Amino acid sequence: MIGDARRIVRDAVLTADICIVGGGAAGIALALRLRDSGLRVLLLESGGPSEDKATQALYEGEVADEALHSPPDKYRQRRFGGSTTIWGGRCVPFDPIDFDARPWMPYSGWPISHETVARWYPEANALVEAGACDYDARTAREGGLRPVIAGFNPREFDVDRIERFSCPTDFARRYRHRLETTQQVRVLLQANVTRLRTSADGARVDSAEVRTLDGNRFQVQADQFVVATGGLETPRLLLASNDVHAAGIGNARDLLGRFYMSHIAGTMGSLRLHGAAVWHGYDLAEDGTYCRRRIALSEEAQHTHALGNMVFRLHHPRIPDPNHRTGALSAIYLAKHLISYEYGKRLTGDGPVTAGLWLRHVGNLMTDPFGAARFLAHWVRHRTLAARKFPSVIIRPRADLFSLDFHAEQAPQPDSRVTLGHSVDAFGMPRLRVDWRYCELDVRTVATGFALLRQEFAESGLGELKLEPSESDIEAVVRRDGAYGGHHIGTVRMGDSRATGVVDANCRVFGVNNLYVAGSSVFPTSSQANPTLTLLALALRLADHLHARAARPIEVGQVPRVSRVGSYA
Amino acid sequence: MSSDASIPPSRVLVVGANGFVGRRLVEALTREPRLQPVAAVRGHRRPAVAGVEVVQCDATDPTAMQQALAGIDYAVNCVAGNDAAMVAATNVLCDAARRSGLRRLVHLSSMAVYGGATGLVDEACIAVRPVSGYGMAKHACEQAVRDYIADGGTAVILRPGCIYGPGSEQWTGRIARLLRAGRLGDLGADGDGVCNLTYIDDLVAAIVLSLIRDEAADETFNIATSDPPDWNFYLTRFARALNATPVQRLSGRRLKLETKLGAPALRLAAIGTRLARLPIQVPDAITPSLATLFRHDIRLDVHKAAERLGLGETSLEWGLAASARWVAGLRPEPSAQQHDLVVEARQR
Repeated sequence: MIGDARRIVRDAVLTADICIVGGGAAGIALALRLRDSGLRVLLLESGGPSEDKATQALYEGEVADEALHSPPDKYRQRRFGGSTTIWGGRCVPFDPIDFDARPWMPYSGWPISHETVARWYPEANALVEAGACDYDARTAREGGLRPVIAGFNPREFDVDRIERFSCPTDFARRYRHRLETTQQVRVLLQANVTRLRTSADGARVDSAEVRTLDGNRFQVQADQFVVATGGLETPRLLLASNDVHAAGIGNARDLLGRFYMSHIAGTMGSLRLHGAAVWHGYDLAEDGTYCRRRIALSEEAQHTHALGNMVFRLHHPRIPDPNHRTGALSAIYLAKHLISYEYGKRLTGDGPVTAGLWLRHVGNLMTDPFGAARFLAHWVRHRTLAARKFPSVIIRPRADLFSLDFHAEQAPQPDSRVTLGHSVDAFGMPRLRVDWRYCELDVRTVATGFALLRQEFAESGLGELKLEPSESDIEAVVRRDGAYGGHHIGTVRMGDSRATGVVDANCRVFGVNNLYVAGSSVFPTSSQANPTLTLLALALRLADHLHARAARPIEVGQVPRVSRVGSYA
Repeated sequence: MSSDASIPPSRVLVVGANGFVGRRLVEALTREPRLQPVAAVRGHRRPAVAGVEVVQCDATDPTAMQQALAGIDYAVNCVAGNDAAMVAATNVLCDAARRSGLRRLVHLSSMAVYGGATGLVDEACIAVRPVSGYGMAKHACEQAVRDYIADGGTAVILRPGCIYGPGSEQWTGRIARLLRAGRLGDLGADGDGVCNLTYIDDLVAAIVLSLIRDEAADETFNIATSDPPDWNFYLTRFARALNATPVQRLSGRRLKLETKLGAPALRLAAIGTRLARLPIQVPDAITPSLATLFRHDIRLDVHKAAERLGLGETSLEWGLAASARWVAGLRPEPSAQQHDLVVEARQR
């Protein structure tokens, strides 16, 4: 059932066995998984079926340094389906090393093992429609994926690991009908949870306060609550629910909102190859999914050099720099105003846009019109019109000159954090203030990773990798894209105890009996991998845990269940 | 079963023996020591199975049917064809059976009788609208058989799902052609319906068990896989087994074009080529009803068949491999011995 919160009787009390706050990737995965559990699930989603300005504005907030972090209402969508409505679809599992406590990586180590999470990857992979759960280049496709650079077998990097791509699947569009036809799950759109109310002793959440933009309000009582509103909004809701827990729910040790991570990522360097066969594009697996090899820093290299996890991908040259002499790339540059903020951001160059720069791009387009036309035709056919979309711009540069895309782990540090700001949104809820910071280790991971790769190329004799204008500029490269994209990680971190985490190994908030968190906010460390696949795996695991917990008979001494005031069923 | 030489085998009349299920059944019956198939075929066509006794019989002709049933112990109704002929033939068969001393009639119905019912559906479930014309016809046939039971006859009604496997034109041959043409594949939300597959040999086994098991008498059974995949899974796996890869992801928009524009046009083309007697094979249509089935959330409850008939089940993997081999025309089927290895008896 899918309903509208604006139609709920004012001041009514709805009840459910499980109340999920947030209808994005995690919330929808939970609801789908609990569909046949026999439990009554109520999913509260702030937005409607499409983007709405007033709802999206509830995401607005402050940023400490705008050069380092986008405004909080960018890269996320407050609507049914959440940010899966705009995501790129890249799926990568976390690596075993990501779960280890690494001496060189501060605050590292998960309270759960890689195997615990990996068990759920196949189901998560099916949910995002990324084909078979096979992330090995040698087996993901019959005969294996083509090598990135023929004959390139580096010692410090693993070139057999791949990324797979979702359609990209918009969870609301894809799974709406499943939720509509399920009696056990009720989705309420336009339902903004503005506060979680706890019992007087703070040990359990009694109800969620729900408001709509047209002035309606009501409450939801449930046996168990799950907050699945993303890595920025989850700490905001917990921090703002401060009537019993003065510092916010789960924040007794001042950990909530801290350790905010994204990824250190961008495009850098120039790689000139000496005639080796190159394949920097996608391969299609038999099941129809796009797959691509990555050049991943090996676990041994991370240990040896005390670095974070990171990967490189071979990439076309940086688009803003007209030296690539490639018509298609210049066409993208010239059309950047037509591209959404999220995808257009990386098209901004280092310097100001001058008439000369613009003219050089026009010149590229004039001298390479067929290259641009070919790209456009491919893009329209395989991206715009296709149901499974070609994942990204892949253009073979005219000169055999490539750059490197990098995607690196960001070290968790308490000073990188989100807090409540001074201004408030339309509901009077404090807006978020984002103070994202990187540290010396983050720069060192990228710099050393780059240096190691350059050495590998030099030793192999296959090509020459340079960072222009100078290698001392690596921090500028790190700063250029800042907190990368829509990866909001670590703000409600998982820990062994309340001294080290906000939630426990089952994603339950320490000290609150019936409150759980789903999403990348619980990741203690960020890995090199994009977070969606892993947050889905954790959400599916959480669904099983909630189901098992709900099925357990009441123990002696346990507080009896709240009597039901009303029911939607 | 131990065969006792002193007792002659029971004679089983297979009505519709030249059809897909009928032919496969006749073949299977030749391997049963205590059952002897008699193939009832229309016109002068011979059944594909050599050495089998044949009676020529138009199933809608009461006199012919009466004669065909002479000396017959069991009959299996596998008649296919247009809806009216199917109903007429079933009525004729039941009427003739009333006067022939038939020990048992096994009637092949279809899950189409449940119409638009959703969720887990057992044999007691009542049809939900809309019911297709085919479903209504199958319902009328069942009614004739139930009347026969009420009048003192013994009969078993089987309701298979989508019968696939070697020889299945509808759910194997047609689907394979559409997959190879890239016109079917991963359908996203449009392929989330439950794919209630019935492997042809499982259905044949169910028919044989319905003939000989006392527990089957006068009962109705759903016959399908106990753990059905969704259509996307079936289509994707089958495409891979056929090497029709990479599997296409088809948009809802494209499926709509197929059902709204493509299907009527192809139907007209089929009529045209038939009238003009052109030797052209018109491509298969993806009809609106097929698209509806791909989305239909109905799951056949098959507990009863497992418990009362002791029916085993062929794995999807095996079924798809055999289907792909049949489509490729390499060899028609795996050997019966190999097949026995993968049939897991459902023990409940």
